[in-house]
Amino acid sequence: MEFSELIRTGRAQAELLRGPEAPPLRGTLCVTGHHLLLSPGPQATSDLWLLLLRSVDSIEKRVAGDSGTITLRCKDLRVLQLDIEGVEATLDIARSIEALSSLESVITSFPFFYRPKGLRLGDAWHFHPPEHYYKRVARETNAWRLSEVNEDFSVCPSYPRAVIVPRAVDDDALKRSARFRQGGRFPVLSYHHAPSGTVLLRSSQPLTGPQKRRCAEDEEMLRAVLAGARPGARGFIVDTRSSQTAKQARMTGGGTEAKAAYPGWKRLHRPLERGRPLQESFVRLVEACGDLEQSMDRWLSRLEGCRWLAHVKEALSTACLAAQGMEREGACILVHGAEGTDSTLLVTSLAQLILDPLSRTMAGFQELVEREWIQAGHPFQLRCAHSAFSHARPKHEAPTFLLFLDCVWQLGRQFPLSLEFGEGLLLALFEHAYASPFGTFLCNSEKERCLCEVRTRTHSLWSGLNQPKEQRKVRNPLYVLNPLAIWPSVEPQSLRLWQGLFLRWTRPPEPSEVAWEKVWQIVTDKEKTEGSQPTVSAPEPQS
Amino acid sequence: MSLLRGVLGMELIGISVKLFLNFQEKLVLLDSALILDVPLGVISRIEKMGGATSRGENSYGLDITCKDMRNLRFALKQEGHSRRDMFEILTRYAFPLAHSLPIFAFLNEEKFNVDGWMVYNPVEEYRRQGLPNHHWRITFINKFYELCDTYPALLVVPYRASDDDLRRVATFRSRNRIPVLSWIHPENKTVIVRCSQPLVGMSGKRNKDDEKYLDIIRETNKQISKLTIYDARPNVNAVANKATGGGYESDDAYHNAELFFLDIHNIHVMRESLKKVKDIVYPNVEESHWLSSLESTHWLEHIKLVLTGAIQVADRVSSGKSSVLVHCSDGWDRTAQLTSLAMLMLDSFYRSIEGFEILVQKEWISFGHKFASRIGHGDKNHADADRSPIFLQFIDCVWQMSKQFPTAFEFNERFLITILDHLYSCRFGTFLYNCESARERQKVTERTVSLWSLINSNKDKFKNPFYTKEINRVLYPVASMRHLELWVNYYIRWNPRIKQQQPNPVEQRYVELLALRDEYIKRLEELQLANSAKLSDPSTSPSSPSQMMPHVQTHF
Repeated sequence: MEFSELIRTGRAQAELLRGPEAPPLRGTLCVTGHHLLLSPGPQATSDLWLLLLRSVDSIEKRVAGDSGTITLRCKDLRVLQLDIEGVEATLDIARSIEALSSLESVITSFPFFYRPKGLRLGDAWHFHPPEHYYKRVARETNAWRLSEVNEDFSVCPSYPRAVIVPRAVDDDALKRSARFRQGGRFPVLSYHHAPSGTVLLRSSQPLTGPQKRRCAEDEEMLRAVLAGARPGARGFIVDTRSSQTAKQARMTGGGTEAKAAYPGWKRLHRPLERGRPLQESFVRLVEACGDLEQSMDRWLSRLEGCRWLAHVKEALSTACLAAQGMEREGACILVHGAEGTDSTLLVTSLAQLILDPLSRTMAGFQELVEREWIQAGHPFQLRCAHSAFSHARPKHEAPTFLLFLDCVWQLGRQFPLSLEFGEGLLLALFEHAYASPFGTFLCNSEKERCLCEVRTRTHSLWSGLNQPKEQRKVRNPLYVLNPLAIWPSVEPQSLRLWQGLFLRWTRPPEPSEVAWEKVWQIVTDKEKTEGSQPTVSAPEPQS
Repeated sequence: MSLLRGVLGMELIGISVKLFLNFQEKLVLLDSALILDVPLGVISRIEKMGGATSRGENSYGLDITCKDMRNLRFALKQEGHSRRDMFEILTRYAFPLAHSLPIFAFLNEEKFNVDGWMVYNPVEEYRRQGLPNHHWRITFINKFYELCDTYPALLVVPYRASDDDLRRVATFRSRNRIPVLSWIHPENKTVIVRCSQPLVGMSGKRNKDDEKYLDIIRETNKQISKLTIYDARPNVNAVANKATGGGYESDDAYHNAELFFLDIHNIHVMRESLKKVKDIVYPNVEESHWLSSLESTHWLEHIKLVLTGAIQVADRVSSGKSSVLVHCSDGWDRTAQLTSLAMLMLDSFYRSIEGFEILVQKEWISFGHKFASRIGHGDKNHADADRSPIFLQFIDCVWQMSKQFPTAFEFNERFLITILDHLYSCRFGTFLYNCESARERQKVTERTVSLWSLINSNKDKFKNPFYTKEINRVLYPVASMRHLELWVNYYIRWNPRIKQQQPNPVEQRYVELLALRDEYIKRLEELQLANSAKLSDPSTSPSSPSQMMPHVQTHF
């Protein structure tokens, strides 16, 4: 397919308004296959303004007289206004943007064309493969082994090639367990908590159905998990649905683990919102944050009415529950909801951040995102197809990953020294998950990424972020290793609206940036004094 | 003498600990698990709970309501009249005024190596502002507090207004609080002037002298055609005040002035609002509808209005559009909030530790904010309608600003909380009495210690490590509800679940960094000395002076 077919007009004169804080920009507007460019004229080429078309969430056009206005609402929650000379030009540009921003084909997307200076294709894709982590756990415990049963993605299309399972369970049993779990997502290890010797597992719901079917291999697997932890160990199954919803799921073939079938395991229900209600909460919150006309007297109750902070609270407290089960009670934990690709990952990844100091380092956190979200099969392409501004009825969109980032931000606010990365990294992950020149968040699963040859044909976000020039944006200058678990307070007055994200484009950024710069200055001064260079990226925790 | 106040030993049910009033006039309770340390000044109310027939756990004892957002409940044994003794002793020393006893500050014999009373010298502060000048003079007309008994002895007034003019203007201003200068812009010379409401009354009285006086103020800036008057009150309240003889400047009478109302409510509204905040945070935090409960207290909304008002005052003056006159009814509550906050936005000097002390000393203490009435030091009448958290609200606004401008203030959160703690503690003389004349009569500066002695002799504890001194930068905080937060570390600090969230480790880290930074600067100087010897090759190392210099120049 040729992009040129979709580009109705090459260029037009336009003025760009970027919100109250930035000065307007005048120049020649130009639509290319992947970008919208505004070139302010021959004298100032350095001020070329560039927008990835993929990051346009919704577009609105208005014409009056012989000019028009296009309002672009972006996936990173920015709102841009373009005043364009010429009615025809306006309509053509609007149509071009509409067509190009909603292209669904992965292999024609920008990451397949992006060739930045200083980066080499194929670099950094080897930074954080989950195998490293799995091999380490297998080495440390003896009770677990790496399995290649999913080498060709036939057992579970949304799992990566390598998974880690109890040593006592063979590949045939895994296959049968996979047939008993939705989407083939049989229980696999997510995290091994060495101090207590317990493990965190995740899966999808069992397919018990109305007949309350059972699966001997699945039961055997969970028995083996407990036996591998220590004699007499107990387990908790954290179901992220209400018990009512879990029961109803039987009617459509799903269900939940029967008590009698899984001795030693106790089921706990912690309903977490997902899917459409979560997306709607996000949309309402962004609407409230952008509504500058609205009388401010009602802001707090409107914020409460969006329920976003309630979702943050629920996610964090469920993660605390899982983490507590392991650390305090010495129990193994299995987390699942229905598909096991959304709220399940939210809980397992947050629980690791709470417990594991390594996952709070820069490299460890990137590894966590890679292992627990990208490789674990969170369907980024479906969930992040649209952000909060799309007028289209949401189909599969849900801001689960954003909710995760928000929870991490809350952890960072409550433990300002314990995370090696700063708000800048979280903002970057949010932006790149929705629209990115890098290939990291493309597709819905490792299988799809292999089919599209993402690893060989696109650049990894991690190599982009780990460049020295990005360090000041993404690292937390105040970080000191905290070997303890960090238990967040989930009281409502301890949780805040993430202003840096939700009010990013409507608040003056200057004071907080000045402060950030100041902290950096102090820290780098310190490092210079000590005669050492700032660490660009910490050594990988795996090897 | 203070030791005579004795030690009150008593046993509490469950834990056998000693609770005693020590010579620091504090209620101290020591137990392996719990240390309670309450200055008696903080106590607002003591009640007996339960009677001789009370049964059940913790149903008999004392309930103590504090001024700093907490209540204490002591469960006591019913035998041996211990409660009666405790009640009497506590009441006596918590409310000394009712028992003709001196307030603790007069007994406190603490010594510090810095004298906080020396911090504020009005002549010096006005000189710092470039006063007197061609248009403004310092007058001693109020030397013996005869013109206005709630104003300080030293006032700055227009050069062209004679002392007789001032006396005539005083007759037309509530409690004789005439318009006087608070702050002058160093470049454009516009000013912030403060006063009380004019005594217009129902009949719409006018006063030529007052009108002329305001015009003289306007004329200190030749090019400006209007004087801006900010009446802090809501419009309706200002109108209602006419019934009691007050009012506001009408357009007819004051041609060269324009008047705006800032909609800030009175002391009673603020008191009730804070009471609601306490209801939702103590003893248990309202969880299920936290945000809408918080909204229903309207506390942040009041903060927003105060800040918005101050921003308007600051903007008028810094843009040179006009001079500003600020008043409310008496000019000692809302007016003090507005002038001091506007000055904090305009003048970076007030953002240093000593500068802030001077600001409080000047705009609040010397200009007669009625601390004794608003706080009720040593007074047992806990329901007194004169009590109101106006000063707390001001400190809250300062905290909101420091959140939004993390590098602009030399002081940290602990500094603000310490000020608030000693607002109630009665350990220092700083906040005692309603006005300067009363303080002078009581010889407060001779007989008590200043809070600034405590702070200035231990300044490092109160410093913000990220402070970057900037001259002439005007700070405009965002006064939108979206950007205001409840000050959790103050209002909810007694909640044990919040307590672990206190930023102690961060402070620790900051201090560490500061020390390292100082060391760095020292080494850099050495390096520069070494480098100046080999000027010919400046590009040898990454630490060449040209690259390092900016760091040095922007340092504290």
